[in-house]
Amino acid sequence: MAVTTRLTWSEEKSLQKMLGNVSLRLLYKSSVHGNKTSSILDKCTCQGPTVTMIYIRNTTVGILMLRPYSKTYDHLKRPTPTFYFSYQRNIATEMRTEVLETETKIASGQLVFYSSGQEVLSVCLNDTKLSINDSLSKALGVYTRSDINYLECEVFRVEGIEDDTNYIRKITRATKHRNPLLAELRTYKPCADFVSKIRILLLGPVGSGKSSFINSVKSVFQGRLTRQAPVGSDVTSITEQYRIYPIKYGNYGDYLPFSLCDSMGLHEKEGVGLCMDDIPYILKGCMPDRYQLNPNKPITPNHPNFISTPSLKDSIHCVAYVIDINSINDLSSKMVAKLKQVQKEVLSCGIACVLLLTKVTNCSEFLQDNSLNMDKSMTSQSQIMHVSKMLSVPIYNTFVVENYTSEWELDPLKDTQILFVLRQMLRVAEDFFEDLP
Amino acid sequence: MAVATRLTGMQEKKLQNYFGGKQFTLLYKATVHEFSEDNLLQKCCDQGPTVMVIYGGAYVLGAYIRESYKRDDRVPIVLFAFQENEISECNIGVDSPSSFLYQYNRKWDDSGFLLNLEQKKVNMNLDTFKKLGLPQNRPISFEECEVFRCEDLLDKRIMKGITQLHDKLLADMRIYRPHRDLIHQIRILLLGPTGAGKSSFFNSVKSVFRGHVTHQALVGSDTTGVSDKYRTYSIKDPRADRPLPFILCDSMGLGEREKGLCMDDIVYILKGHISDRYQFDSTKAITPGHSNYIDYPLLKDRIHCAAFVFDINSVEYLSRDMMAKIKKIRRELIKCGVVHVVLLTHVDSMDLVTRGDLRDIYSCMPVKLKLETVHRELGFALSDILVVSNYTSEWELDPVKDVLILSALRQMLWAADDFLEDLLLEETGRCIWWYRHLEVSAVWLLPAWICWVPGSSLCPCRSLSCE
Ligand SMILES: Nc1nc2c(ncn2[C@@H]2O[C@H](COP(=O)(O)OP(=O)(O)OP(=O)(O)O)[C@@H](O)[C@H]2O)c(=O)[nH]1
Ligand SMILES: Nc1nc2c(ncn2[C@@H]2O[C@H](COP(=O)(O)OP(=O)(O)O)[C@@H](O)[C@H]2O)c(=O)[nH]1
Ligand SMILES: [Mg+2]
Ligand SMILES: [Mg+2]
Repeated sequence: MAVTTRLTWSEEKSLQKMLGNVSLRLLYKSSVHGNKTSSILDKCTCQGPTVTMIYIRNTTVGILMLRPYSKTYDHLKRPTPTFYFSYQRNIATEMRTEVLETETKIASGQLVFYSSGQEVLSVCLNDTKLSINDSLSKALGVYTRSDINYLECEVFRVEGIEDDTNYIRKITRATKHRNPLLAELRTYKPCADFVSKIRILLLGPVGSGKSSFINSVKSVFQGRLTRQAPVGSDVTSITEQYRIYPIKYGNYGDYLPFSLCDSMGLHEKEGVGLCMDDIPYILKGCMPDRYQLNPNKPITPNHPNFISTPSLKDSIHCVAYVIDINSINDLSSKMVAKLKQVQKEVLSCGIACVLLLTKVTNCSEFLQDNSLNMDKSMTSQSQIMHVSKMLSVPIYNTFVVENYTSEWELDPLKDTQILFVLRQMLRVAEDFFEDLP
Repeated sequence: MAVATRLTGMQEKKLQNYFGGKQFTLLYKATVHEFSEDNLLQKCCDQGPTVMVIYGGAYVLGAYIRESYKRDDRVPIVLFAFQENEISECNIGVDSPSSFLYQYNRKWDDSGFLLNLEQKKVNMNLDTFKKLGLPQNRPISFEECEVFRCEDLLDKRIMKGITQLHDKLLADMRIYRPHRDLIHQIRILLLGPTGAGKSSFFNSVKSVFRGHVTHQALVGSDTTGVSDKYRTYSIKDPRADRPLPFILCDSMGLGEREKGLCMDDIVYILKGHISDRYQFDSTKAITPGHSNYIDYPLLKDRIHCAAFVFDINSVEYLSRDMMAKIKKIRRELIKCGVVHVVLLTHVDSMDLVTRGDLRDIYSCMPVKLKLETVHRELGFALSDILVVSNYTSEWELDPVKDVLILSALRQMLWAADDFLEDLLLEETGRCIWWYRHLEVSAVWLLPAWICWVPGSSLCPCRSLSCE
């Protein structure tokens, strides 16, 4: 009999993504290797982090253990965070999850997980039965009165976990925060009722990922990759028009009460990149959508589309400085000077701002264990401190993102981080209204 | 210590291809699971076909066993060794793990292969050494031994998944309707050097929807390119009495300097001024008055999405001139608000890429490296780069290829939706806009004659952010 997993190909792909872009390697399959603890242990000891899958008719339950299977009981005795999940056949993307500090015991034909002395889940291999305690089965949405007969048990090695201690939290972030964040932003209403729509402006050097961030936000709400804002790299800015992008939920959904404004990138040379004299007009809301920017000549009030008496809703309510995190160590002095000049303008208009560091390679490394905020050890890095001070952005308003530019499908982990950053921007913008005279 | 292989990415790929498009699952690694025969057998018995790899100094050699085994089963064994980057092999007939693992000290004229894990030594008879091209005839000491399960990249389970995906994509595309039904068919313009595979891509798309391979568009490989007429291909949906919701527009190939598609024609194509079967002229652009010139193109005549098509094998060797042309066209597209993607063809003829790799082409090592080069050199975002393998010589459809072609097409339709959505925003709820841009909106909202001013040479769509 072939040693092939029971997972369908699409389930396997979704699972790999949900568990943090990992690879799953099948080590043990009960129908081939036998329903005995000794067989599991033979195949799975010392194989690194594993996920144990138990297939019940339409439901699949999974247990992700960071500590490897071991023949010596002592080894698994120390409680460790263990990730339990379940999903209905073929919809692995909608898994229910729970993290518990559990210890594992493998003996006399059973695989048992304990949390503070209580048995939470046990797999009885001899008679292929699974039992789950009340609270866990509630959390996982597996409702049973008694033990459940399962069809099969498989164990996979999980490859591609970079950081053990942070790992479980990283994947729970995606499954726990993504949907609530999305729901919150979908129903978001600015609390200042005199303005119906919040405008966030992205400013930063050429190629820092401003347009990509807009596409990323649009993609999350659209549920597929979008490419409305032109993205790419060249010596001069790819974005040559001032654009105000509304954000829509779903394909036929409504527009959400915020929009993101894209502009040309800043360039260290004079006469290249966004014209500094355009910035005050943009901030005040005088510049019309689709205005063709000219690096050498700012917009003038004579322009036919110039908005000469912008109302509060036309103006920018939050500025996001977008900077490639890999470049912060070698920003040229001319670029720094330009950024400082921009910062002065922003400050004089009283607009709140955030700092967005793009192109990180592993977002979660930067985050605190239990929230989506940047970790202290990261923010205390002198360069990040330096940039945030230079732009007078408080460190708690400094964020990292990884834009949707190097994959072809959405990823729940990325979604979460992008949504989080957006929500913080909106909160910062609200502070701007509260501060109005 | 992590359970991860010591093979380099390249070695692993070579070995996987050598045994017929396999995927490896590492089951046993001596430095982690101890140099112990018992441990090896515990991990590797009943695991299906396996390959064992032994690392001895400069040598990487091993054994491929294409059957699942238990300790005493006699199974066929093929030995292999890496030589530089080639693989040599030697079939040593059948043997059982219990003998080649546990009987290192036996007399062994009959056997070609003996292993001693405790002493970290592997031995073979002279003949075998020679056949494998190993330049010595003493036991080789090794420092690592790994065993992998070999599975087909396209086994029954995967093919089932691919077929499901294929059917879903096909069904989605059949019922796809452009954003807010602004138009009936999306126009996708294919642009790129001569011989890139533009016409072949149309043939491939048509074949997928027809259910058999067709070669409607002439395909050629001589340097002047076979397509010198502008062709807009609509495909009839064989299962419904209407055309599919997209039109592929095949242009003349871009050439060096003055050769190939005339750069000035591109803007006319984008705005919808050029009609089907226009005979291109490399030396000059179409002029109003030409029988193929559409004076007042409607939204449906315009290009809604553009794809730069390149041969994946030559894309990094484009001339400076060609690169400059591409970048110039990209700026033009952005100015007109047309969303673009990049389509890389010929992936099937890339070194090391097998049919099995097509199932996950974007994670296939050599392809990944290539995409990064294109991203770096040409400045396209990675996610804008799509990969396909066209139907060129074969007569049978392959669901694995189909999925690539359909996925690329789906991204193009989404890109077109992004374009249409952005257009519409111009008029939503902004009356001032109406006033200012009446002549622009008229282009596609009103019949052409309403806004046509006799004697005016101004093309109304000129002003549409294309000035
Ligand atoms: N790896 C990675 N690449 C990114 C990220 N964000 C953007 N990029 C890449 O950076 C390049 C520039 O991105 P854009 O979004 O066009 O940058 P921009 O700030 O809008 O630049 P201009 O409009 O030219 O001033 C593109 O090639 C993107 O693919 C990111 O988070 N990670
Ligand atoms: N192996 C392979 N050959 C291809 C592929 N696409 C196109 N070709 C070949 O490349 C050559 C040029 O193709 P053609 O479609 O005429 O290019 P065009 O000038 O861009 O229209 C022809 O010989 C095709 O058979 C592909 O994906 N794989
Ligand atoms: Mg941009
Ligand atoms: Mg052609």
